[in-house]
Amino acid sequence: MTLPFTHVDWAAVAPLEVLAATGLLVLLFDLVWRPFAPRGLSLSVAFLGTILTAALIAQQYGTNVAAFNGGYIVGNFSVLFGEVVLLGTLGALALMGRGGSDRESAGTIALLLWSACGALLLAAAATTMTIFLGIELLSLALYCLCGLANRKSAREAALKYLLLSSTASAVLLFGMALLFGASGSVSLAALASPAMVTNPLFWMGSGFFLVGIAFKLSLVPFHAWAPDVYQGAPLPIAAFMTVVTKAATIAIFARFAYAALPAGASQMLLLPVWAIAGISMIVGNVGMLAQHDLKRLLGYSGIAQVGYILAALAGTTRLGLRYAFFYLVVYAVMNLGAFAVAAVLSSGDDEEGTQIQSYRGLGARRPLLAAAMTFFLLALAGLPPTAGFLGKILILAVAAGTGYLWLAALLLVGTAISLYAYAKIILAMYRPDHRVHAADIPRGAPLPWVSLALCLVATVALTFYPLLPSGLLPLVK
Amino acid sequence: MLLALVLLPIIAGSAMLLLRGEDRRLYRGIGVVVALATLVLAVAARSEDWSAPWLRAPFVANFHLGIGALAFWLIVLLALCTACAVLAVESARPRALVGQLLLLEGTMLGLFISRDLLLFALFYDLMLVPVFFVLLERGEHPRDAWRYIIYNFAGGLLLLFATAAFGVLHGTTDVIGSAGNAISGAWVPWIFWGFAIAFLVKTPAFPLHTWMPNTYASLPPPVAAVVGAVQSKAGLYGFFVIAMTLMPQEIARYSTALIVLGTISLLYGAVAALVQTDAKRVVAYSSLSHLGLIVIAIATQQPLALAGAALYIVAHGLFTAALFIGLGYVEEREETRSLARLRGIGANNPRLAGALTIAGLAMLGLPGLAGFVGELVIITGIVQSGNVAVAVVAVISVVLASAYVLRLFQGIVNGPVAHDLPVRRDLTWREGIAIAPLLLALLYLGVNPHAVLASGSVAIPRAPQSSAAGVTTP
Repeated sequence: MTLPFTHVDWAAVAPLEVLAATGLLVLLFDLVWRPFAPRGLSLSVAFLGTILTAALIAQQYGTNVAAFNGGYIVGNFSVLFGEVVLLGTLGALALMGRGGSDRESAGTIALLLWSACGALLLAAAATTMTIFLGIELLSLALYCLCGLANRKSAREAALKYLLLSSTASAVLLFGMALLFGASGSVSLAALASPAMVTNPLFWMGSGFFLVGIAFKLSLVPFHAWAPDVYQGAPLPIAAFMTVVTKAATIAIFARFAYAALPAGASQMLLLPVWAIAGISMIVGNVGMLAQHDLKRLLGYSGIAQVGYILAALAGTTRLGLRYAFFYLVVYAVMNLGAFAVAAVLSSGDDEEGTQIQSYRGLGARRPLLAAAMTFFLLALAGLPPTAGFLGKILILAVAAGTGYLWLAALLLVGTAISLYAYAKIILAMYRPDHRVHAADIPRGAPLPWVSLALCLVATVALTFYPLLPSGLLPLVK
Repeated sequence: MLLALVLLPIIAGSAMLLLRGEDRRLYRGIGVVVALATLVLAVAARSEDWSAPWLRAPFVANFHLGIGALAFWLIVLLALCTACAVLAVESARPRALVGQLLLLEGTMLGLFISRDLLLFALFYDLMLVPVFFVLLERGEHPRDAWRYIIYNFAGGLLLLFATAAFGVLHGTTDVIGSAGNAISGAWVPWIFWGFAIAFLVKTPAFPLHTWMPNTYASLPPPVAAVVGAVQSKAGLYGFFVIAMTLMPQEIARYSTALIVLGTISLLYGAVAALVQTDAKRVVAYSSLSHLGLIVIAIATQQPLALAGAALYIVAHGLFTAALFIGLGYVEEREETRSLARLRGIGANNPRLAGALTIAGLAMLGLPGLAGFVGELVIITGIVQSGNVAVAVVAVISVVLASAYVLRLFQGIVNGPVAHDLPVRRDLTWREGIAIAPLLLALLYLGVNPHAVLASGSVAIPRAPQSSAAGVTTP
């Protein structure tokens, strides 16, 4: 038996192979050298492998290869989204260096890397088959990772994520099956033919497909799982999920919305998505108001932020895609920065840095850390001089330019609400509070500090040197 | 040099926030030097123009800096107020306060020298942050910080949206201070109101003013001086350089609405100032009233009224800053600012009483001080524009101003000495120097208002240059 694939196909997925092999190496090294080198070694291998993968992906910039019969398309789109995925992975790995929990061992790191492989696959997937493969690869590892912490909420999170995410996958798969029935092909390109507009199977299939995607993106009304799961998951995993899962899912959604829909149907089919994106901006930001747990709060914030990103895609213009990508990058660094602050504050298993209560009086006790947290929170709210400000104005411009003024209006309302929620933490940090005893706060491990500093620099730099890639076009073959 | 002008106070302020130690003299000294350095830099860079590219799509935006005619006077006012405020800082933890004052100065300098709408919007939001932190750490109640940030951030968001829409419509946001960028079309009224509401929140004008009395009362006096004197002018400055030059048709179309809002602010502020028992709130409400007059002047679009508005913007800044600093001295000495308790400060503190009196008389509009010329020219302009009824209301408010100013000073300065309040020494040299430049500037502009009067008409291309000459007659 011979495989129908050539070396061109395998070369296209070389970065994935490297990343997957890195996971194996991490396990192997741990097996051999465990007594001598604890987690530091595993982390170093993982870092090197991820950076190598990022370099390999970067080399693919400017190329255009349709590998595996059009199932895996390498182009600027896949390269850029792939780099965001790896950025999120690096951020999550850095948080693993926070010390404390021994549970985050070599196996955890390997699972995280394999999960990132799934996300990379999604960034380039252009048939329903590869999309499903990527989603399952991404999710399967995460089911285990969510339940790692020794808490009741962790087991709850893992089970909830398993059940709800599987349901979403089932809905997605059903939609894919219907789409296959409509077009007779697993390729997304086949859906773009005008004949599809009159085919009821296509409409139903697309509907189910989009519901599945909305679930994975945690858009309202399919959002309830996200804050619970983030709360239960360990800190690095929650950071990984808020960035990587969202980036990968937005990549599939953008490919589907931009390239796989017949011209006559696209705006009508996508209108409900824009509507729930708008509702997500409000619900996510209102949901933040009542939170006492930072991971939950950032979970709700993520719901709203995805709404903003989708608002840029509304109208499916090329400019909109560039801004959506820009905001995605900005969201990734702001969010990873906030998680890094929490990681510096969390040394033990119980992750005290995720309790908003523990931020009380931080401004007096740890001024630098409090300033960094303030910075990231204000960035998430969209205040200058952070890239969150620029990202918002670009989204507003594109929404106004394509005529989606109601989305722009919802974005403004949502942002105003969000400031209140973020500023509540800032208030806790800076309001002189005599009830707080100056408890000893550990210095924090170096890796989260590095991640924090890099995110801070990136958030400012992106305001003044906005990276707006021009060749960003989702392709299907 | 323009870049240095913005970055100097911002870097100095941030550095100060990160330093340690609470040496009052040292930080005050650095703060004053930095503020005066910005003054020198602003004068030296007055005719400079600096630009660097920022965005190319969806609209062109540049980091474009330059000093306009009105902006120049606002910068002078800002640098002067900051220097005085820093000198007047009297706190056990002066380092952060001076740092925040410098940050506030830097961000507002950025606002006034922005030649690009997007950059303007950036600084418009950025200048909220230092005030928010001062309110959080030193305000009387967290609620004041909330009100301040939520109101102003909401206004900032509208500004942001209007900027984005303007950029998409016009193709570039690099438009401040250059002619020929007026836009028209079905969208323009929305854009106009986006800008206008943001500016009216900031000014503030009725009914968007409710954040203001709490904020001013809650802020430490030096910060209240800078915010009340200069930050409140950001909105009016926006009306001059954005609403008026970019959307002249809209401002003419909606002038009635603006005049009504301005008139309500004018009267409501004056009446509210009459019944306040907190001395700082009297000044806060009087500010609402006076700035309402400027909103009317802008809405009439009468060249004379605009020239008067430019002068009154500066004059109002001077006496508001002087009053807040002076009332800060009073509060520090008597440990209260309740008009029900304060009495007879003049007997033991003649220098403080004198300073307060000059500032108060400027607010009341005494001839010879800058406030008088401003009010007179504005009211003349309003009459010339045909809104005689509004002019009558304005005159009534001037009478009311005499009432609340006299009530304030009658209460604080004159009368028998209050024996239940502590008696402290009179103004020290430092405290005197912190308030004297503001009073001297009021006097100088009162007798020689031409310099500033002309700058109001330069900002509007439509107004003939001769309007400045016509001003000299009243």
